Amino acid sequence: MDDEKPSPFADLLTGAAWLAVSVAIAIGAWNMDRLERLASTWHTAPGLVPGMLGVALIFMSGILITRALRGGALQQIELPRIVFADHWRLIVSLSIGLFYAIFLVARGLPFWVASAIYISVMVFVFQFPERREAGQLVRGAVIAVIYGIIMSLAIHYLFQDLFLVRLP
Amino acid sequence: MLDGLLGFFSSLMGFMTPMSLAFALGSCLAGFVIGALPGLTATMGVALMTTLTITLPANQALLILICTYVGAIYGGSRSAILLNIPGTPASAASCLDGHALAKRGEAGRAMGIATSGSVLGTWIGMLALAFFTPVLGEMALKFGAYEFFWLATFGVVISGNLTGNDPLKGWMAGFFGLFIATIGQDALYAHNRFTFGFHDLSGGISLVPALVGAFGFAEVLTVMKEAPTAVKINTFDTVIPRIKDVLQYWRTVIRSGLIGTGIGIIPGVGEDVAAWSSYAAAKRASKEKEKFGKGSIEGLMAAETGDNACVPGAVIPVLTLAVPGSAPAAVLLAAMLIHGVNPGPLIMIENPKFVYDVVAMMFIASVGILLYGLTLTRPLIWVLQFPKTLIMPVIFVLCVVGSYAIAQRMFDVYVMLAFGVIGFALRQMNFPMAPLVLGIVLGDLLEKSLRRGLVLSDGDLLPFFTRPIAFVMFVLVASVVLLNVPIVHRAASTAWSGAMRAFGRAG
Repeated sequence: MDDEKPSPFADLLTGAAWLAVSVAIAIGAWNMDRLERLASTWHTAPGLVPGMLGVALIFMSGILITRALRGGALQQIELPRIVFADHWRLIVSLSIGLFYAIFLVARGLPFWVASAIYISVMVFVFQFPERREAGQLVRGAVIAVIYGIIMSLAIHYLFQDLFLVRLP
Repeated sequence: MLDGLLGFFSSLMGFMTPMSLAFALGSCLAGFVIGALPGLTATMGVALMTTLTITLPANQALLILICTYVGAIYGGSRSAILLNIPGTPASAASCLDGHALAKRGEAGRAMGIATSGSVLGTWIGMLALAFFTPVLGEMALKFGAYEFFWLATFGVVISGNLTGNDPLKGWMAGFFGLFIATIGQDALYAHNRFTFGFHDLSGGISLVPALVGAFGFAEVLTVMKEAPTAVKINTFDTVIPRIKDVLQYWRTVIRSGLIGTGIGIIPGVGEDVAAWSSYAAAKRASKEKEKFGKGSIEGLMAAETGDNACVPGAVIPVLTLAVPGSAPAAVLLAAMLIHGVNPGPLIMIENPKFVYDVVAMMFIASVGILLYGLTLTRPLIWVLQFPKTLIMPVIFVLCVVGSYAIAQRMFDVYVMLAFGVIGFALRQMNFPMAPLVLGIVLGDLLEKSLRRGLVLSDGDLLPFFTRPIAFVMFVLVASVVLLNVPIVHRAASTAWSGAMRAFGRAG
């Protein structure tokens, strides 16, 4: 409830992105087949509700943009800069996560092996600064691998063997 | 009345098997730990448990989900008190007085208050669930397409208004959720909409993978992007609740329980609003206003009673209208549908026993949190000190499993990933997630009701505004929206103060 508010300029960019999406939704709904050959009328056309929602979102995006402009968005223009050193934790966790789900799991590697690799890599990478500082890189790597194997086997057992849920 | 009591005891006895009790205790513990760990929410916990329990019979699966839900909402108070970090958004109000008490060396007393408040709140909500579900169910029988259209609209609008701190962004998230629900084949002609030739999209976006992404993967990213901080916990006194604290503030307990339950019934609003509203009401009515925020027993009691009373409250509209009262309740609704339980206006006619089963599940969950509240303080401190770098990768693996397990297709994993990234980006820009989820849940109801209503009236819009219940709901929706327009808000405030002054003079 006490979240930090984004700057007016950030809201302006967000509003512009929303506007683009909303316009695309409205156009997509307008161009949708109205199925008149199936005796469909305006109120049964498949595009009715998406179209209404698209228009509503265009209106709200407009308010967001207007509010940002009135809040001084153009006086505080500051294009976002992605500096790896500032955002490495986010970039690395997102990249490793996507690689695990899209390539390791989806390409047929046994689930427990893929998960063990993912967990071990994540633990090792995110503990790397402290381990290097303490001169315990090898110990850290061993712990990460053992932890990864134990957790992935535990998940495998819990879902597949105990609760009979099929795994990827 | 007697029938209700008999139904409750019969349901309760039905759960008195070693397997059910083991499931209840295990899931309460899982919920308690999930709630206590900052970054893991009740919604995520219930969503992951939904996939774990997919092969179980409906009653046992729902027992596990409800125990997880109640446990997580209660567990959030532990980190709020000990770390000044709410374990779940529902416990944010508990930080104010809970942590102030902890800093005075009374963390044990604060945890005792949280335990008693949570248990009593659950019981008040549970009683409301038992009494109001049949009443609301009967009322819901009068609802037709026009009323359901406004109900769905009201849910999204009020959820957008009350969750987060920017109603405009809440509504945008809610309407985007409604749009997501339109993706796939439409209900009348099975015409593909926004599928872009992808066969998998024809069936639409499934709720559970979307929820696991928005609340699970997005949480993992949010936690991982911040560097971990050292957890320091002070020593504390006994955690056994003091009867004196409860008796002294019995009015606050009842008031907060009723407020929490009432807010739970409002679609999509949820426990955090319940806690803050109960806290604010307690402060207004208190004789010790100056103590609030500085370690007030009454303040902590109000927040904890309010958020836990909201849990059974949020289940009332799930059972009677198939409309969730909170984000975790949306997952519960999805789980009920997966397990073949059809909640809605006919539940008291077709399956009245199920309502009492749910009441019994709430009772069992409250006993579970009482048990763990009294016994698991020290092990929980160990859990709180466990590094996030070890927990979050495991949570992400569970997100992958969770999204895959429902339909056993990789497409749902991709949905989870997409919603995780979208959810993370939207959160960074201050868009709340609860209206988005509610939009996805209510989108189908809104569209079917609108089109069915228009077919019935042959395209005439008037019945949406002239039928009594529909008119009242339309006025509610319009009021919620218009009161956020500054000029209307000022005019309404002036008119209200004038009316109050005139009323005071007349009195």
